Amino acid sequence: MSSLASSRASRMVSATWRPFGARLDRSAGAVFILPAVVVILGFSVFPLLASLYVSLSRLKFVAGGVELKFVGFDNYAKLLFGIDRPHLLGVAGPLTAIGIAVLVAIYGLFAYLLFRYARGPNRTIGGLIGRVITTAIAGALVWLTVNTILTSGRPGTLVVTLVYVAVDVSVQYLLGLGLALLVVQHLPGRRFFRVVFLLPMMITPVGVAYLFRMLVDTSKGPLYPLYAHFGLTDVSWVINPWGARLAVMVGDVWQWTPFIFIVLLAAIETLPHELTEAAVVDGATRWQVFWRITFPQILPATTTVVLIRIIEGFKIVDLPNVLTNGGPGTATESLTLHAYTIWRALDIGGSAAVAYILLIVVTFVGVSYVNLFRRRATAAV
Amino acid sequence: MSRHLARALVLLVTAVVAITACTNGSSSSSNQSFSGTTIRVVTFTGPQIAEPLQRRAPDFEKATGAKVQIITVPFSDLYQKLLTDFATKTNSYDATVFDPQWMGDYVPSGYLEDLTNRVQADSALQWNDIAPFFRDFSATFKGKVYTIPLDGDFQMVYYRKDLFTKDGIAPPATWDDYIAAAKHFQGKDLNGDGKADYGSCLAMKRSAQSYWAWISIASAYLQSQGTKQGAFFNTDTMQPLTSSAGAAAALDVYKQLSKIGPPEQLNQDVGDSRGLFVTGRCALSLDWGDIGPLAVDPTQSKVQDKVGAIILPGSKKVFDRSTNQLADCNATLCPYATNGVNHAPFAAFGGWSGAINKAAPAKVKDAAFAFLSYMSQPAQSSQDVTIGKTGFNPYRTSHFTNQGPWLSSGMSASAASDYLGAIQSSLQSPNMVLDLRIPQTAFYQQTALDTALAQFLAGELSQSQTMAQITDQWNKKTDEIGRTAQLDAYRSSLSITK
Amino acid sequence: MAIMGRRHGSVSVNTVSPPAMVLSYIALLAWTFVVLFPLYWLAITALKTPLEVNDGPFYIPWRDFKPTLDSWHYIFFDLREDTFRPYFNTVVVGLTSTAITVLLGSMAAYGLVRMRYQVGAGAIGSFVVGVAIAVVVVVAGGPWPLGLVAGFGVFVLLLQTVARRLRRGVGNDDIAFWMISQRMLPPVATIIPIYIFFQQLQLLDTWGALIISYTAAHLPIVVWLMRDYFQSVPVELEESAAIDGASPYRVFRSIVLPLAVPGLVATFLFVLVFAWNEYLIALFLTSANAQTLPLTVAAQNATRGPQWWYMSVLILIMIGPVIAMAIALERYIARGLLVGAVKG
Repeated sequence: MSSLASSRASRMVSATWRPFGARLDRSAGAVFILPAVVVILGFSVFPLLASLYVSLSRLKFVAGGVELKFVGFDNYAKLLFGIDRPHLLGVAGPLTAIGIAVLVAIYGLFAYLLFRYARGPNRTIGGLIGRVITTAIAGALVWLTVNTILTSGRPGTLVVTLVYVAVDVSVQYLLGLGLALLVVQHLPGRRFFRVVFLLPMMITPVGVAYLFRMLVDTSKGPLYPLYAHFGLTDVSWVINPWGARLAVMVGDVWQWTPFIFIVLLAAIETLPHELTEAAVVDGATRWQVFWRITFPQILPATTTVVLIRIIEGFKIVDLPNVLTNGGPGTATESLTLHAYTIWRALDIGGSAAVAYILLIVVTFVGVSYVNLFRRRATAAV
Repeated sequence: MSRHLARALVLLVTAVVAITACTNGSSSSSNQSFSGTTIRVVTFTGPQIAEPLQRRAPDFEKATGAKVQIITVPFSDLYQKLLTDFATKTNSYDATVFDPQWMGDYVPSGYLEDLTNRVQADSALQWNDIAPFFRDFSATFKGKVYTIPLDGDFQMVYYRKDLFTKDGIAPPATWDDYIAAAKHFQGKDLNGDGKADYGSCLAMKRSAQSYWAWISIASAYLQSQGTKQGAFFNTDTMQPLTSSAGAAAALDVYKQLSKIGPPEQLNQDVGDSRGLFVTGRCALSLDWGDIGPLAVDPTQSKVQDKVGAIILPGSKKVFDRSTNQLADCNATLCPYATNGVNHAPFAAFGGWSGAINKAAPAKVKDAAFAFLSYMSQPAQSSQDVTIGKTGFNPYRTSHFTNQGPWLSSGMSASAASDYLGAIQSSLQSPNMVLDLRIPQTAFYQQTALDTALAQFLAGELSQSQTMAQITDQWNKKTDEIGRTAQLDAYRSSLSITK
Repeated sequence: MAIMGRRHGSVSVNTVSPPAMVLSYIALLAWTFVVLFPLYWLAITALKTPLEVNDGPFYIPWRDFKPTLDSWHYIFFDLREDTFRPYFNTVVVGLTSTAITVLLGSMAAYGLVRMRYQVGAGAIGSFVVGVAIAVVVVVAGGPWPLGLVAGFGVFVLLLQTVARRLRRGVGNDDIAFWMISQRMLPPVATIIPIYIFFQQLQLLDTWGALIISYTAAHLPIVVWLMRDYFQSVPVELEESAAIDGASPYRVFRSIVLPLAVPGLVATFLFVLVFAWNEYLIALFLTSANAQTLPLTVAAQNATRGPQWWYMSVLILIMIGPVIAMAIALERYIARGLLVGAVKG
């Protein structure tokens, strides 16, 4: 079913309904969407404005209570340029050969894509400007990442969060998709698997974090015999920066793969089967069936679920908080944990500033993602 | 007359006085009628601290008619909940059992009720029975009383008495001794299960209790002339002591200790270190008073009757603020030294105390005071401090004089006298260190100090970078709030009168 | 019109050859182990004494250690009210907010899929001006209800007059993106304003506050997920129903919803899980009466360090009902479409 057909169809539907002219029908559009819009809008306006104001101010205790003193962009300046900069952005080390190679490769790719768009048939001024800005921001983030990870420097909470999101969402998607495809098959007992695979997502995130804390304990955790066998009892993987980050990522993958699994499962199950059956009859291999028929049809669901996981993933806080409290040092601290830690010490202005920086980054990623993938995915169906 | 009889008589007389005094509506406790009043007390989810409150609330209600509702919230968020409630004038809590360090933020803003007069008028409370440190420093701010102590919190060192005696090692008197002893036991099997064990187990995890452990070490080098000298800032200039030679020495010790312990030590909080110690896997540990009762609990411990306790190790060299250098202890520099060693027991955290919301209705405030007083009175508290589950540790002189409850809780006579002796010598030390309680203490300790310590232990920062980072952040915050105001607050917290 | 169900037809891509079956089972069982082992560890930790938890890993009850019900006893009998009340609150708040969210969200999703919205720049401008007026009133010292009314009044006024001139604006996709963008800001930034919001409404420590918050917070997810499921419902069915005289509501209720049941069930389960397990908002908006279970779980980490034994019991009883519900509803996800060849 091409999108052209369905959009034409939906316009036909609206056109068909109009002749039936009941006022109720004409206002149906509003009735369907207004409750949701009103609830979301009503609930979000005040907190957004208030927290924006808080990010521009500082909490003070005065005689008789507390007061919020307006300080302009001071909180942001502290984070981006001042005393908290190493915490947020990290410490850059001198570029290594690998770093330079990676930078060249990625910047080359960006340049190629920009060039291709500028020479392409659909270019517009607005589109070009948008793409240039996107490339600039993406380039800055890449620069930051390479300079803090692939060198002797250390990454700040921003880069750590980016790494978490990139790795976690990719692995979760691949696993979730694989499991969904396996479970869709007519295997006896697949109902059992369906239910079991849902379990990790159902545990409260704080509980999952404590669960994993038990698991990674090398002296009294259940994996102790494994460590002992490899002679690793004197080493702890949560006091090594990348080991700790790996622990957080494993926990996150374990917890959220079911989300992707069930969405994709429902999507695959609702697909009409004539196409696949016709293809099989025509002699297509399973891979071909998947790649050319199933996957394109679940692309909208894929892009939705990946977008949701990206947005949620940026807010990761319970796992790093409980597993290592952001340690060793600041190695596993995510942006939200950074905000939470300074919020606990009453610096609510600074905490709101970190949250808004997170918002800006996520909005950037979200908008780029929607423009790059989602539009094409829904158009392709 | 035996001490027991004397105490009993005192109690009896007090009770009689209290009963006869209640008719004129004074704020002496218990027998006044508060029927119809509900007191909402908030603290963190137990069983520690909350359990004894919940257990005794019905008795209190029977005696006075006041209904006590104990509301609990997760420990790590109690501060925010309280503050948000006060600051937004929601006032859903009438009283709280909290960390007296938070007074530095709550009192100047006017959220807590001044209890000075009530405390003086309440004879059942036996205010003077409370150890001087808790009475004069922990419960007061700018000379006025704002809390009723319910718990005595300070850190001590615990060690495996059986192992130390067998190997002929004396319990550590200085931190160098501690390090040497830990090294001696590291890698040996200390509990007979065939696995290599650890010399020392500390809670070095970030955002947990690590900074208290470090302050316990640093105090030995930084404070030698009594509580009023303070261990955090220079009392004349508000310059942080975190860039001093004393702090450097303490960082050295801390870094060494991070290597003589379990491999996971940087990710272990006090629950882990305690658990390891009472299952026999450590020779030494640093902790509050909880290990004493825990060690005798058979569902938790494998080291019953093998545990000794001593006052925090000290140092033979202290930081001389006039010369800005470490110097050997002498009579002027360390007037309270024992055997040439300066001990500075650290009242970490301050000891859970009860405070009353100033905005609560008058009758409710009276009832709340009566309840908190009831919890603190010797009759109740001397029992509660012997039960490990309550989380209440001894803080009154009377808690030490009668070993009966301790023995019946399962401690052997030697373990009890050891444990109580260590607590007593800490409590009676004139050089006890008061925990920081200036406005925004949470920033100074949890954000600046704790983060820098974690980064130091993980190798993200060098020693000089660590000291510089802490000092810079502290100074910046002090300037933000106002240097004069902070200095004034610091001096008030130490009861230094100008 | 031949309707082909999945089980008709002898050739299906979903019948599996033996070697593929073996490989599939290996993969599935491997992941099952990965999922179940931590849960098994949780279950046996709930049966251990603190000593057994701290003293090194013990795996098999009765062989390695003696299981005890002490922790269960503590949670159910010693704590009693403090366990049952949060449990009850969690169930009520979770189910209610999820039901409302799925209902409103599906309706909005259907609207976004089948109808064309155009929110004019004029309307948005009017809204912004209205909000600005409200803010000015409040900052100038007036009571917030006054500010709200003033802002609303200005908004409606502008909407009826100026906004009609400026119709070009944002469409369906933008509305959808706006909705999901509400989830981008971490709750820690907005939690105090939300607290004040409900404090002014005098709804603190009630179910209402939690239900409203969770509904508003989870609507975007429902909308986005259901959009895709509704899109996969063949529009020809709706067309023919409309031609036969059905109103959009009828079409939605009788045709679209039943066909999207797998998606609905999956979405319902998610949102339930999100609402069931939410921590920060519950922490702040509740005090004595409306506390929910995640708070009790987190609270087990107090001054003594995490009390694994109690925590395990709490986590287990928390996931119990959700698993039961998942088992009950799972077959609806599997039902799939029984409609195939609409094209005749």
